[in-house]
Amino acid sequence: MTAQAEGEAADTDLVHAFIDGQPVSVPKGTLIIRAAEQVGVEIPRFCDHPLLDPVAACRQCLVEVEGMPKPQPACALYVSEDMKVKTQDTSTEAEVAQKGVMEFLLANHPLDCPVCDKGGECPLQNQAMTAGRTTSRYTLPKRTFPKPINVSAQVLLDRERCVNCQRCTRFADEIAGDPLIDLMERGAEQQIGIGEEPFDSYFSGNTIQICPVGALTSADYRFKARPFDLVSVPTTCEHCASGCATRTDWRHESVERRYAWEDPAVNEDWNCDKGRFAFKYLSENRLTTPLVREDGQLRKASWPEALRIVAARLAQAGSRSAVVTGGRLSLEDAYAYGRFARTDLGTDNIDFRTRPTSQEEQDFLASRVAGTAGPTYADLEAAPTVLLVGFEPEEESPIVYLRLRKAVRKHGMRVFSIAPFASEGLEKLSGELLATVPGSEAATLRSLPDDVAKELRADGAMILVGERLAQSQGGLSAAVALSEQTGASLAWIPRRAGERGSLDAGAISGLLPGGRPITDAAARQEVAKVWGIEALPETPGLNLAGIIAAIAADEAGAAAAEDSEEEYERSIEALILAGVDVSDVAEPAALQRAIDDAPFVVALDIRPTEVTAAADVVFPVATVAEKSGTFVDWEGRRRPFAITFPETQMFSDATVLSLIADNLDHDPAPRNVPALRAEIEALGAWAGERPDVPQVPAPPASPAGDNQTAVLATWRLLLDLGVTQEGAPYLAATRRPSVARISAATAAGLGIGEGDPVRVGSQTGSITLPVAVTEMPDGIVWVPTNSPDSRVTESLGVGAGATVSLSRPTDLTEGA
Amino acid sequence: MADLPPALSGFWVTFRTMFQKVVTEQYPEQAAKYPPKPRFHGRHQLNRHPDGLEKCVGCELCAWACPADAIYVQGAANVEGDRHSPGERYGRVYQINYLRCIFCAMCIEACPTRALTMTHEFDLADHSREVLIYEKDQLLAPLTENMVAPPHAMVAGTTEKDYYEGKVTGATTEQREEVAHREEAEEADEVVDAEASS
Amino acid sequence: MALTPVITAHWDEPDCFTVDGYKKVGGYRAIKKALKMDPDDVINIIKDSGLRGRGGAGFPTGMKWSFVPQNDGHPHYLTVNGDESEPGACKDIPIMMANPQALIEGIIITCWAIRAEHAFVYIRGEVPEPIRRMHAAVADAEAHGFLGENILGSGMNLKLTVTSGAGAYICGEETALLDSLEGRRGQPRLKPPFPAVAGLYSAPTVINNVETITSVPYIIENGVSWYRSMGTDKSPGFKVWAVSGHVNRPGIYEAPLGITMGELLDYAGGIRDGHELKFWLPGGSSVPLLLQDHLDTPMTYEDIAAAGSMLGTGTPMLFDDTTSVVKAITRWLEFYKHESCGKCTPCREGTAWITGSLERFQEGVGRSEDIEGLVELSNHILGRSFCALGDAAATPYEPALKAFRSEFEAARHQPVDEAFPPAATMIIPPETANLAGAAT
Repeated sequence: MTAQAEGEAADTDLVHAFIDGQPVSVPKGTLIIRAAEQVGVEIPRFCDHPLLDPVAACRQCLVEVEGMPKPQPACALYVSEDMKVKTQDTSTEAEVAQKGVMEFLLANHPLDCPVCDKGGECPLQNQAMTAGRTTSRYTLPKRTFPKPINVSAQVLLDRERCVNCQRCTRFADEIAGDPLIDLMERGAEQQIGIGEEPFDSYFSGNTIQICPVGALTSADYRFKARPFDLVSVPTTCEHCASGCATRTDWRHESVERRYAWEDPAVNEDWNCDKGRFAFKYLSENRLTTPLVREDGQLRKASWPEALRIVAARLAQAGSRSAVVTGGRLSLEDAYAYGRFARTDLGTDNIDFRTRPTSQEEQDFLASRVAGTAGPTYADLEAAPTVLLVGFEPEEESPIVYLRLRKAVRKHGMRVFSIAPFASEGLEKLSGELLATVPGSEAATLRSLPDDVAKELRADGAMILVGERLAQSQGGLSAAVALSEQTGASLAWIPRRAGERGSLDAGAISGLLPGGRPITDAAARQEVAKVWGIEALPETPGLNLAGIIAAIAADEAGAAAAEDSEEEYERSIEALILAGVDVSDVAEPAALQRAIDDAPFVVALDIRPTEVTAAADVVFPVATVAEKSGTFVDWEGRRRPFAITFPETQMFSDATVLSLIADNLDHDPAPRNVPALRAEIEALGAWAGERPDVPQVPAPPASPAGDNQTAVLATWRLLLDLGVTQEGAPYLAATRRPSVARISAATAAGLGIGEGDPVRVGSQTGSITLPVAVTEMPDGIVWVPTNSPDSRVTESLGVGAGATVSLSRPTDLTEGA
Repeated sequence: MADLPPALSGFWVTFRTMFQKVVTEQYPEQAAKYPPKPRFHGRHQLNRHPDGLEKCVGCELCAWACPADAIYVQGAANVEGDRHSPGERYGRVYQINYLRCIFCAMCIEACPTRALTMTHEFDLADHSREVLIYEKDQLLAPLTENMVAPPHAMVAGTTEKDYYEGKVTGATTEQREEVAHREEAEEADEVVDAEASS
Repeated sequence: MALTPVITAHWDEPDCFTVDGYKKVGGYRAIKKALKMDPDDVINIIKDSGLRGRGGAGFPTGMKWSFVPQNDGHPHYLTVNGDESEPGACKDIPIMMANPQALIEGIIITCWAIRAEHAFVYIRGEVPEPIRRMHAAVADAEAHGFLGENILGSGMNLKLTVTSGAGAYICGEETALLDSLEGRRGQPRLKPPFPAVAGLYSAPTVINNVETITSVPYIIENGVSWYRSMGTDKSPGFKVWAVSGHVNRPGIYEAPLGITMGELLDYAGGIRDGHELKFWLPGGSSVPLLLQDHLDTPMTYEDIAAAGSMLGTGTPMLFDDTTSVVKAITRWLEFYKHESCGKCTPCREGTAWITGSLERFQEGVGRSEDIEGLVELSNHILGRSFCALGDAAATPYEPALKAFRSEFEAARHQPVDEAFPPAATMIIPPETANLAGAAT
């Protein structure tokens, strides 16, 4: 029974019934099987799943109901007033019926438990023990199938073990909206199967988890371990801001698999395939010791040596330092960076947003998001209307997508999306597209059709903005204005798991922990008191764009000074980079130049990257499996996770920073998670005044492209070339293909058709992909941001809304 | 004897014993005089099917049954061209830590394929910890005349069931040829490698 | 009891299936009467008449219609079940062949009563003739203005769609029929919601058998008391009896409910000469078999039930002493195994298991533990499967064992074809020479 259903109990009339003589009171519309769970009676079942519609197919849960002539399926019959239910515990009829069904289920079962990945955690195995016979009376030849077959690259199907409960097909159809697997044949030959397309759903892994037998298993986990030899740790998924509760199963210092963990308030019972299968990066290609640069080369160094070097240089640099953290840090680590910058370095030059951003976004986050408790998943589910702006839920926050789909299916939520075209995800939400040229989001928001604006005035309506809206000038300002106008609540949904925590922790210039403006004296005082220091910087420092600009200015200034043989004092002497991927920002070349030009660079990372290669000192840090911590999901909800490998040798970022502080002879900084959490709790959220919301006007309508040019639209697909997906070949095989989307007219203008290659070019490079002709405004081209053959920031060096060239690759060769 | 001083009477005992029959066994220089009883629990052995394929399916039930946590197993899938056992799964890693093993034979009872049995070998002593963790190659039963070393295909036309029903009695010519070809190819590779590295 | 041809009265007219031919014998008069009545009054007439569903379950038709919520703003649908696939049943297909206009008239009246503007006739996919006949009949009726917009000036619109399945017995189950009609996999749906509330396309839907709907115009035309003058209080009216098996004149006989099998058997010319009745089934293979003693039982829903069987579709099959009961039961179970949709465990696994075991008896290698074991297996299906298909498959064995245990005992050692030569039981035995020729 979900928390939500319990919440509803108060509002609904209760019905009173008896299960095995025990009185039970449940809300109207509760199934017998759920009611029985409440009084501790477990009725065996296979097809039943609390989040799937009842189907009553397996018949394992038959119980006796007084007044009914035959046994009834407990999974499909609602409790009614004065109903008297007798389960297998008190009724011979129910017990005999269940035993009969179990005998049928096992008749053709291969009983290959020793080689089955489900063995040891198998509902069929367990229930065969309670409701089964010790020997089989079935003497006919068993039904056999070739085993196993791939229904997708990562899901294997063994039809011999299948009990045809249809949990998987119902999940795919009802929950994920990808009905790519279905029943085939009939009668005793009935089996699960696929059509021409494989079962490449972003949520396919859930079917493996809910399969009550070993019919669906994972190619990734095949024969890897046994449940009884695995240690399970409650964790939080680190891949996006959905905040899924997960379970990490490991043995011998190696993560063997991840499962979705039940959390009704957040991910219910589900997670996406990225969260489930992308964990090989935790162990592959790791940094293990500190590195220092000597004679231009990085060499291994001891911790004391590396710490000494860093402390000496940072002591010199002091407030002329800057800190850039990626969006993947835990709340505690991000907090430690913010604290370290302000107390140990005395600077406010810090930014966590290593992605296309804007000052408008920074103002928006400070005024409306940081340290606030926004709308929740429950609010989302209850919303009558949702407007998506710069946000593709299925690709960028899959659990938000599942919740939207549930609301669409259960109560007809209306979904509108401001985007260049109706994505597959939007279609599965029966959503309506408000077709918009990238860059014109603000204009669309400010001139919504009347019916959409009216819908948004309804109680509980929501506007969901993605982090991509920052790339569209005036977009966030317009979204805030719309929210204020209509009363619809506004939620910002970033992509990475660490973004919201970093914001709340103050790992961004101008904002102290809890959303405190650094310009507010009272806010500074509160923080200084907890941090035990006299004073904090009073003016906002530089954000990422400012830091890059400052280093470029330093470089120019230093060069000029050298020519005139004058002393030049740089504004940035030292740069600390934590988990930064250069290709994440809009202009990777500029960031790379800044890293190359900065006099002293410290990098903290889990693996070698372009950044660590350019750094002067590199510290290896712990992955999420090697530390505990907290992620903050898009709701602002704290999602703590436990350490997976308690005997790890790795330090967390916060610990490394505290060691640097020690070497600076500063007051000890909190270095473990409990101490950091205590400080964060002590600070709490800012209750004082917040900065004004940004009021950036919509830009003048951008001209759509002509035959040679187009406006670029792009976003990341869930499964792409992200570094955390490395080492997962089966997962990679289920990626959506890289295509360039253009309208039929644009394609015709170029003289190309569906599937033909098209070249998208900019001053820095080009991308060539097959065309998918899509219903969308003319003069726009969409390509995935970071997929095979399509790395937008690296190849094009521009972001969404930029004008790019479009051509036929053959034209080029002719021209050349 | 009473006349002798007490000190000498002690020596007398020693002197007298020198002429008695010696019971000390010169183990390990000489072989054990008394072989173990038939049901003695000695070192484990991973058995083979009559054609040489391994009986172990890597199910880890022995590891689960082990009260001393002495066994570590990791399964893997048999694939075309790399078959170690009949059926889908084989034991890729098989380790028994003889510093932990208490020779209770619970593992033997747990084994669903009769892959794991115990030999009469009891001289399990050594100078380091590592060598007392036995790997799969040390535990596998030696190949008899009818067997060829896996990986190789199953006897043509048979199923996993036939192996358990005793219908496979030895390696076929096809299997022998497959293994011979493989070994030749491996040797050739080694030569190439050796030349490349020299 | 005398025969009372109503539906079958004019089947020997050469143009009985056309609008003109039907009108000639009094057709399309009832709809004029009905369309002038309040729809609720039509429902009440059918309720009062006591007409019971002819598809097998015998549910009161008027009551079914009255479950449809009225004036709910949703479209309503009528679906006519012409998926006649029950072994031994052959009545709906002849009705559609010979009297399709009466069916269409019944559909119009029913749609008027339940306020439906779209009706479907779902015909079994393996029978092309009635599908063609119904298509032609609908076109004919449309041409005469009985279907379409503003029928006979009543303001009623009705579209009638003839559609067919792909030949699955399960699609005769009303909810599976709806799924099939919607283009899905034909498997029964969970009830509730019942089709009367959320049926076809989630709209209130009435599903009736072809014979049921065809009876409607005659009741409207001739009145409740005329209808109730036939049959019994609980099973009023006339019925199309399709008698088959080892009888001299198999065929369709229309007579009131309450006629006995013995009387029907007389009309059908008695059991084949030189043979005796061994056992018979009142309505298709899904009902328990009855014996000689039951020939005097009135053929009504209640009396046949009291005798331990069911009236079912009302299509009696009779078997003489040349028939092996083991083989007959096996053949039926093979049918159910083949037709089980696979949705629920007891039916999917149970039918295959029982069939496999029965086939051993048929081959003379039956296992003694199966003799009682199959009763237990049948009971594991009976009342535990999702829909009535499982119940139907679980029904035949036990009564057969009770009556003919010795045959099952014998089949442990002797193939049934030895004890009961197949040629002897055939109505038209093949030439011995041909058989020999086929064997070589």
